[in-house]
Amino acid sequence: MIQLKTMVNCIDNSGAAVVECIKVLRKKGPARIGDRIVVVVQKQRNFGPESGTNSGIANKVRRGDIRHAVVVRARKEIQRRDGSVIKFDDNACVLINKSGDPIGTRLNGIVGAELRNKHWSKILSLAPLHL
Amino acid sequence: MVKSFFWASSARHSTTAAASMAVSLPMVRPLGYLKAMTPRLVPPQICWRRHLSTIYSQKPERVPLPANLPKEFYSQLPERLRPDNEPRKIDVIPPPPSACSVCKDPVATVTASQLAILDPTGERKALFDYRRNPRSVKAGDILRVTFKSGDPFSGVCLGIRLRGIDTSFLLRNQLTRVGVEMWIKVFSPNVGSVEIVQRTEKRKRRARLYYMRKPEHDMGSVENIVQNYLRQKSALTGQPISKSRGR
Repeated sequence: MIQLKTMVNCIDNSGAAVVECIKVLRKKGPARIGDRIVVVVQKQRNFGPESGTNSGIANKVRRGDIRHAVVVRARKEIQRRDGSVIKFDDNACVLINKSGDPIGTRLNGIVGAELRNKHWSKILSLAPLHL
Repeated sequence: MVKSFFWASSARHSTTAAASMAVSLPMVRPLGYLKAMTPRLVPPQICWRRHLSTIYSQKPERVPLPANLPKEFYSQLPERLRPDNEPRKIDVIPPPPSACSVCKDPVATVTASQLAILDPTGERKALFDYRRNPRSVKAGDILRVTFKSGDPFSGVCLGIRLRGIDTSFLLRNQLTRVGVEMWIKVFSPNVGSVEIVQRTEKRKRRARLYYMRKPEHDMGSVENIVQNYLRQKSALTGQPISKSRGR
């Protein structure tokens, strides 16, 4: 249940660590796994002391940036069609650009399999594990 | 005298006459309509005096219908007074047979029929019937579920809901250091197999181990335990470990 002001973990290597939801797109009510949201980057991930200049990993987003994101894990339990219910311990998202492609190149963490039904196959292929 | 079948029309006249007789003699109505012949006997001002109020008179008695009234006179009577008038026959439709008589306990019947399809041997039911079967799965056991699609899921059993055909159990694990919980239906056709990897050492004194979500009680990942179990199992059965990530 991700809505306005929810702080969500960002699990890709785009450079954001914690983002805040400011809008749930194409939906009334809170966002769940697979929903698109608009976020503000609140905390950056720092890749070592000398990041951004010589190393190849550069923060693609900065604190205060407004980006789109897809929810990949949610603390709110979600029921599958077969009756099983799945629940994660945190809220997590992946930043995407306007056309729907992920900004980062790697994901670290499990994602929900509901992304398949919502046609986020690019994110699913990046994820190490999906359930 | 005019005779009516219903009301003695003359009765009212006679009573009024009787009442007025006590007051004044000239109000007496002459018998046999003599009045018509002698109109001047009564003073005109008394004759034409009218009152707005009606003098009380008793309800006239009903004149019964004459016995053996010929049928041809029936048409002159209102329908409800005709001797051959009977209350209308109303068709009473019997109620449909009660569903209770067909099936006393439909929920139990459906459950039994579904169990016969989904769990014909009763093995799965016994595995999770922790109230009756001492060898069943208990809260705190580590389970490994393999779905028909091939992907496994393992975790600590935090609780079992016994609800007939909807019986389910809750597994908790940590995958990529993120806690994941899953309620799985015991009799779901998607569930291929359920194995007990490790039983809890000490009987848990709670039916639902929700406290294990707290960081101080969390078991963490059970992946190592499951991998060990799979290794032992393959050594015993002589089959190689199926390619899975131990979840």
